[in-house]
Amino acid sequence: MRILLAEDDPLLGDGLRAGLRQLAFQVDWVRNGEAAEHELRMHPYAAAVLDLSLPGKDGLAVLAALRKARVTLPVLVLTARDAVHDRVRGLDAGADDYVVKPVDLLELAARLRALVRRAHGQPLECLAVQDVVLDPAARSVRKNGKAVTLSVREFDLLHTLMLHAGRVLSREQLEQHLYGWGQEVESNAVEVHVHRLRRKLGNALIDTVRGVGYVLMRAPASP
Amino acid sequence: MRAAAYSLQNRLAWLVLGLLTAVWIGTAAITWFDARHEVEEILDSHLAQAAALVMAHHGEPGGEHPIDLPALHRYAYKTAIQVFRDGQLVLRSASAPTTPLAGAGAGGVSGFATVRIDEQAWRVFATHDAQGQVQVFVGEEEKSRNAILLAVLRSTLWPLVAALPLLVLAVWWAVRRGLRPMRQLGRSLVERRPEALDRVRIDDAPAEMAPMIDALNALFGRIEALLDTERRFTADAAHELRTPIAAIRAHAQVALHEADGAARRHALQSTLDGCDRATRLVEQLLTLSRLEVDAMPKEERVDLGAVTRRVLADLAPRPLARRQTLALVEAGPCMVRGDETLLAVLVRNLVDNAIRYSPPSARIEVRVDGDPSGVRWCVEDSGPGLSQADLQRLGERFFRALGTVESGSGLGLSIVRRIAKVHRMTLTIERSASLGGLAVHVHAPPPAGDGSPRMPSG
Repeated sequence: MRILLAEDDPLLGDGLRAGLRQLAFQVDWVRNGEAAEHELRMHPYAAAVLDLSLPGKDGLAVLAALRKARVTLPVLVLTARDAVHDRVRGLDAGADDYVVKPVDLLELAARLRALVRRAHGQPLECLAVQDVVLDPAARSVRKNGKAVTLSVREFDLLHTLMLHAGRVLSREQLEQHLYGWGQEVESNAVEVHVHRLRRKLGNALIDTVRGVGYVLMRAPASP
Repeated sequence: MRAAAYSLQNRLAWLVLGLLTAVWIGTAAITWFDARHEVEEILDSHLAQAAALVMAHHGEPGGEHPIDLPALHRYAYKTAIQVFRDGQLVLRSASAPTTPLAGAGAGGVSGFATVRIDEQAWRVFATHDAQGQVQVFVGEEEKSRNAILLAVLRSTLWPLVAALPLLVLAVWWAVRRGLRPMRQLGRSLVERRPEALDRVRIDDAPAEMAPMIDALNALFGRIEALLDTERRFTADAAHELRTPIAAIRAHAQVALHEADGAARRHALQSTLDGCDRATRLVEQLLTLSRLEVDAMPKEERVDLGAVTRRVLADLAPRPLARRQTLALVEAGPCMVRGDETLLAVLVRNLVDNAIRYSPPSARIEVRVDGDPSGVRWCVEDSGPGLSQADLQRLGERFFRALGTVESGSGLGLSIVRRIAKVHRMTLTIERSASLGGLAVHVHAPPPAGDGSPRMPSG
């Protein structure tokens, strides 16, 4: 899952990035409001962690601008401002969650997963499409009840396709979902991962729309 | 303290009543003496008149036996008339004794006298003819004279006596009514919530109470401002501590789950950095809060040049490691008045900022210079400086300029400003003309009475 972290404090930003990476998030880190807004407008992040007291453009202003521009990704506000009216203002400005520093990394990760799940209309903690069940928290995948071992990228690709089940995603979109900044993407990386997923989970799961991209259908295609 | 408190209302009422009563008694006394004097004069003149009449009738010799005058009125017994001729009683009223009313004998006596006859005081007028043969006494009982006096006074004093209780009530009511705004103020203060700091308003407050109410409201205003600062400060401090704590927590958690040795060491080192930062922040907060409480902790003669030299020696290793040039230009001793420890904090914060926010190989210059117009202290650097907007926001608590990689608390300049303020020094921050980066000037005015021999040398 690709997350944007907007935090101006170098020490805390570094810690959060390292921690979230440990928990298998792809984390891009910006240190000011303008950069946060720009990145969130340009790239399909699964969610954002937004500090409120950002230099340049205040976190709340960033949030308001994003919502006005119809950027609907889930935003978790992580801030030192703990007063009730601050929370209310944050949530009213369009935050999906409001967490006061300091926060436990595991809790932060769980909240992010929950936000992403709900953003895709998934109230249950596990995603299930056809006969495949994916558990984002445990990072496990089962097919017909049998555990399947996937690499980190394969899991993330499957997770993305399952979250967007029924929608065709282009190769570029998938790359953007999978890779953070500075990560080398080989030109055929997505094809390779799709190929491996098909081998492990069956050919029928992922459909190719030639020239457009890939899609994971909610129900198996009728023969 | 409370036990000794007295009621203003009671005191005022008693005072007014006491004075009123005293004046009243004085007036009554004057009336009394005046009336008595007048009544006595009239009665005495009547006595003399009567004596003259009797004398006129008894100028010639009478019979052998004295004549007893009939008592024609019940008051007749309160008056007495005696006529002696050659020592022999020739005429007397029913109430008069046979012996002369006054004087040693029955001849040659004249004038007024007060005598006692049968335990009763009598006022007697005596007169005699030119030859001393006829002696006339006319007397009147004092009691009856006093009765007349009392009758006269009664009509004068009675309304005054009757008015006294009414006066008491009136005074009491007037005092109570006059003091109503004060009671109102007391009540409104008592009924306030203890944390309420809104202004006191008393309807129809008299002019005398206006200074009190104004002072009270001004006090409330000051307390409110003070509490506001305090609250904001505490909140800011708590917020500001949250970030390093969050960083410590994040890095500690990363270290706990990190298998890779280098990453783990980095996380642990970051945890320590976070602790250092939190410690520094706490120290700065304490310095700042101490500064807010004490107006001027110490006043001694301090050589700002020597302080600067010491602080620079302390700080020197860091710029050396970053190949920055740190230079001090000092023109002799520069004495200022103040607290040496605080001035060292000021110098340290400013020079530390210059080192911290200047890139490697930058030049940092500190100058101390003194003349009769005061001491000028200045630090300049060849760093990136600050934009005009950032220059204006500088010194706001916890403000840090955009793109700052150094993890400062943003409190340093607040502390510097505060120290400068208690030392009555002026702080100017601008673009450095010579080095291009930031220039911070501190100007200390010459201490009042500086150079006079009575000043103790510090």
